[in-house]
Amino acid sequence: MGEFYLFAFAQAHEEFRIPELQSIAELHNFTIKFQSEVNVHRPFMILELESEEHARTLARRCILVKAVCEFYARGLSYEELHEQNRARLPKWGCYIPDTSFRFMVTAYNHSIPQARQRAVVEDFSYMGFLGKIDMKNPEVTMICYEEYRDKRGMTREKHEGDGEFEEAFFGRLIEEGSARSLIRKFDVKKRVYYGNTSMEAEISLLMANQTLASPGKLIYDPFIGTGSMAYTTAHFGAMVFGSDIDGRQMRGKANQPGIIRAAAQYGVAGRIVDLCTFDVTRNPWRCGELFDAIITDPPYGVRAGAKRLGRKPRPGKPADDLRSPETIMKNRPDDQPYIPPTKPYELSSLASDLVQLARYMLKPQGRLVFFLPTVTDEYEELDIQTMLCEGMEVVANSLQNFGSWGRRLITIRKATSERFPPPSFEVSSGELEASSLHVPAHKDFREKYFQGFKNSNFEQPVQDNH
Amino acid sequence: MVRLITHNLLACHAKGCTSNNFPLQFKDIQVELREAEFNSDFLRGFLPRIEWAALVDASRQLGDTSLPAEQPEMLDDDFLQKLHHVLLEIHVEEGAMICPNCHHVYPISNGIPNMLLAEHEIG
Ligand SMILES: C[S@@+](CC[C@H](N)C(=O)[O-])C[C@H]1O[C@@H](n2cnc3c(N)ncnc32)[C@H](O)[C@@H]1O
Ligand SMILES: [Zn+2]
Repeated sequence: MGEFYLFAFAQAHEEFRIPELQSIAELHNFTIKFQSEVNVHRPFMILELESEEHARTLARRCILVKAVCEFYARGLSYEELHEQNRARLPKWGCYIPDTSFRFMVTAYNHSIPQARQRAVVEDFSYMGFLGKIDMKNPEVTMICYEEYRDKRGMTREKHEGDGEFEEAFFGRLIEEGSARSLIRKFDVKKRVYYGNTSMEAEISLLMANQTLASPGKLIYDPFIGTGSMAYTTAHFGAMVFGSDIDGRQMRGKANQPGIIRAAAQYGVAGRIVDLCTFDVTRNPWRCGELFDAIITDPPYGVRAGAKRLGRKPRPGKPADDLRSPETIMKNRPDDQPYIPPTKPYELSSLASDLVQLARYMLKPQGRLVFFLPTVTDEYEELDIQTMLCEGMEVVANSLQNFGSWGRRLITIRKATSERFPPPSFEVSSGELEASSLHVPAHKDFREKYFQGFKNSNFEQPVQDNH
Repeated sequence: MVRLITHNLLACHAKGCTSNNFPLQFKDIQVELREAEFNSDFLRGFLPRIEWAALVDASRQLGDTSLPAEQPEMLDDDFLQKLHHVLLEIHVEEGAMICPNCHHVYPISNGIPNMLLAEHEIG
């Protein structure tokens, strides 16, 4: 039987909260008991954990945790809250005699006027703490949170509706979430090397947590671009491999590759094992089962179109347009080697190829963590099912909603120790099936994006300017 | 970079090149030594994937003779330190890797190997 802890979350990425908690618990080999009526859209959760140490571990590693408290009481009104809190005397009684303390009153989606904050604190005086009040360095901090309804889109005075909270929570602060400060550390704009495909810091950190990154592990990004997730993954101790079809993304302009310069800024250059230029659908990996995780943001065609080696079929163009191998080799400059022609790569086949590649390249129990863009109104649970293959299981699926479109962070586990062959990257039978039986909402995503998600008939592909 | 751990994992993948396509041969290379953090869990985890003879050959080619010809059964600290050095601390910065079978040249520039195939080389 565990104890109850009150978790306060940052006001962001609601659907990522539970997957992140579960990942970090799995990484550290403990379990979290969720209450039956968890609502992920609410910023407070009461979780049952075996020890305070587990609560601290979550506060130190989870990006979305703002604070963790020993839970004392909650209530739709203060009467209810105080009644519960009195009954918890055995929990806080030990702080009565001579522990220095402070009380804090704060709100979510609201700001409480100071006068009422003081009044709320006054109402806890029955707890009878005898120690000295210390606002700077107390031995214990008691926190009371009021949760208000989201007021976005409504014009209101700052304190209007004060006291009309949905629910209030009370507990003893154990630890403030310290991983949130990493969002500033990995801020893309402060990085010595980044590009227009760089992934924002907070999401890169959340993704790294989904991989269970830790020392001793080897993690791979096959579409590494400018390396955003390599830095966060390496920060948590893992060794990272990267590859990309476009060497310029990884290098930038200076001699030393951009990814290495940025990694050095974060003190993790040594954990970037290597960067290689290749098309992941034509990859040189000698064997499978190499990686503990694959973390990636596949090219979904908005800023960096998905490409693969080969030529677009272009009716009317004579076949002798193909340059002979000799010309290709002769015209090849030393520093910027031959860049072969590429053809577009449709997103739904990319996604199922990626899952198959991961099944081949991951060690058993390894994780694939990647983004899948999708059309919000057309998305169905089945979209994810159609890209799975035997042995691969969805662990988490969290939506980041941008309105008419969004992207889902998908975490898949290789739940088998059976060996599978490398994918052929030809149109797979699974894909044929998928296109005849079920067309996922992310199919032809690039075209849908540029047409504003209006119609679903794409005769005229949009010009690729990458 | 290219470290020998990477060299040990890359095979020629040109169209039809499916035998004698590993290990790639280094040519005209510039090597740098850089200290790396030691992690024995990482090494133990990676060991089952290593092609031992290829690793020993490559390290000798680059002037490091510390590894035994046969992979030892006992993973003592001394051995793991040597393995660590060979896998992670020797970086090939410039030069090329050449397929022993089809002689495809994979150039290395500023530590990044170009493993892209030309059009006529893809299956
Ligand atoms: C969305 S970006 C990844 C951005 C990266 N996360 C970053 O932080 O910059 C996708 C990357 O995939 C690369 N790419 C596209 N097609 C590829 C292929 N077939 N094989 C390997 N890389 C590919 C592009 O060059 C691009 O850098
Ligand atoms: Zn070859």
